[in-house]
Amino acid sequence: MTNPTASVATPDQPAPTPGRGIRRIRVPQKLRNVELFLVIFVCAVNALAVVLVQFGALGYADGTVVTLGAGLSILVFGMHIALRFVATNADPFILPIAALLNGIGIAMIYRIDIAENLTGWESTAVRQVVWSGIAIALAIVVVVVIRNHRVLQRYTYLAMLIAAILLLLPMLPVIGQEIYGARVWIHVGAFSFQPGEVAKIALAVFFAGYLVSRRDSLSMVGTKVLGMRFPRARDLGPILLLWAMSMAIIIFQRDLGTALLYFGLFVVMIYVATGRASWVVLGVGLFLAGAVIAGQVLVYVNDRFTNWLDAFNPEIYDATGGSYQLVQGLFGLANGGLIGTGLGEGRPDITPLAQSDYIIASLGEELGLAGLFAILALYLLFISRGLRISFAGQDDFGRLLGVGLSFTVALQCFIVIGGVTRVIPLTGLTTPFLAAGGSSLVANWIIVALLLRLSDTVRNQPRLVI
Amino acid sequence: MSELTLLILQLAFLALLWVFIFIVVYTMRSDLFGQRVRKLKDAAAGPAPASGPAMAGAAAAGAAAGAARPAGAAAAGAPTTPPPGTPKVPTFIPAPGTELSGPPRASTANAGRLVITSGPKSGTDIPLGTEPLTIGRSTDSSVVIRDDYTSTHHARLMVWGEEWVIQDLDSTNGTFLDGQRVTAPVHVPLNTPIRIGATTFELRR
Repeated sequence: MTNPTASVATPDQPAPTPGRGIRRIRVPQKLRNVELFLVIFVCAVNALAVVLVQFGALGYADGTVVTLGAGLSILVFGMHIALRFVATNADPFILPIAALLNGIGIAMIYRIDIAENLTGWESTAVRQVVWSGIAIALAIVVVVVIRNHRVLQRYTYLAMLIAAILLLLPMLPVIGQEIYGARVWIHVGAFSFQPGEVAKIALAVFFAGYLVSRRDSLSMVGTKVLGMRFPRARDLGPILLLWAMSMAIIIFQRDLGTALLYFGLFVVMIYVATGRASWVVLGVGLFLAGAVIAGQVLVYVNDRFTNWLDAFNPEIYDATGGSYQLVQGLFGLANGGLIGTGLGEGRPDITPLAQSDYIIASLGEELGLAGLFAILALYLLFISRGLRISFAGQDDFGRLLGVGLSFTVALQCFIVIGGVTRVIPLTGLTTPFLAAGGSSLVANWIIVALLLRLSDTVRNQPRLVI
Repeated sequence: MSELTLLILQLAFLALLWVFIFIVVYTMRSDLFGQRVRKLKDAAAGPAPASGPAMAGAAAAGAAAGAARPAGAAAAGAPTTPPPGTPKVPTFIPAPGTELSGPPRASTANAGRLVITSGPKSGTDIPLGTEPLTIGRSTDSSVVIRDDYTSTHHARLMVWGEEWVIQDLDSTNGTFLDGQRVTAPVHVPLNTPIRIGATTFELRR
């Protein structure tokens, strides 16, 4: 997107010394200026969203736009300024896209708050802004502290340990907490957190470090069956271990979505590291087998399948834990139509959990198909930037890490949006950046920080242009 | 606020979302569609005559390097002095009697620079570290070569166990090491020309 020859011709660029022909192409803050423009645009769109919610739902606008809109804007500008100093060459699109998704999420959560008459600290939107603040502050810390992503490779096994501890925390008796049947929260004082969200980053670091060192044995040897080279039995250890872990999450934490997310992450990373489709075949086969068995044995998994396949059956619709929520979400989407009811003018609050798990249905109702596709396009751009950064990466660890981090966002979107739109059975996961929930925001903003750091390292190589 | 104003504002909001998406896509278009091809001013700088002096230079430099270290260093330094654009003439004479049994493989210990020996930027060099170098037309390559013959991601120079290896990234027009097309990753000998499009370069001390 930058034109190196143009930058050479700029007058502030010193002419290359004749003796040594090294030409270092520096594009002074050009990428950051693009980012600044996009960030200003995004902040205006976010503020407009809050104002429209107020006009639509209340009929007047007051000072709330300052607390909700400006709160996020200041933090995003803070991150932008931090990038000007520590990651000059980072990708200019990731921060604005994440900020826009976060802002649309806050506006929609605020809309649900109005419908439910929540104000002050009761208001989920205010808490979401505070969590965004914490998340972006942590992202700035990550960008400033981790100056080179390769240091993460040193902590491969430490990352595994951290992931394991984070996953086991909700199982502890005192701090662990069970909400809606899933035991994935920890609760300390007034503060609740879903450690599994952060564990996915630690797992991505661990998988990247582990696969970089082991991929030769995982990719080179094996026997050919039906034109596909399958790995040796002794190399199946890691995938079976991960599969066992996912099954343990399904059985003990009763959380289908997280299990699918972790296992999918591992399968994709091993596929990218080895380039062998047999790993995908094995992984998908294992997971489907596990899901079918779990559907037969575990009641809550079986309920999810029934709700999915037979959602419009009145008996299932009326049953406790039935398909009421799913069908209400679909009704909301249908009510939205092509351009939506308009922000603040629909009834998204009828759906339970309209501000977290079902925020996509709420947005679909008020922004319509056009708005929902815009949001999906934003995710597409975000993920394509992530994959692009990994593709351009110079070292294998960074490439794998970039693929893993972008893919977690992609897979999470698919699991949640697919669940809400009845493409796959509904599983409880948060929509990245949009849904109300602190742990999800923290995890996704850290992913943003890591991708920005990776992209800065990629572009910061000495370059010669011919 | 009237219904109509609100409706127009709501539609404007949707339009703004899409405007943002299109601005982003427009700004990243070179990443999506590749860098624009730059036509070379001089067709004579094409691949055909490029290999001649480069080969001679390589052979001479290799021989000189084998004979005596200071001579080798001087010879390697020579091509960097002429300003880009002037025809390159080997300014050194190969030491007599030295056999070309093949120059040593370039490793991180003995290769310090990548020198462009022919093409539009002939004479420039870049220092080599231990990090891999990507070569191609895309702006995120370490060495960006923008001519008709280069693919977006053309080739990669990387270190395999201390030694430099060149890998062709399935390019359209190929990567040539000493005249041979590179199909699998191969070790790069010192002072041996690697040709990509209209550009030839060597790894030198």
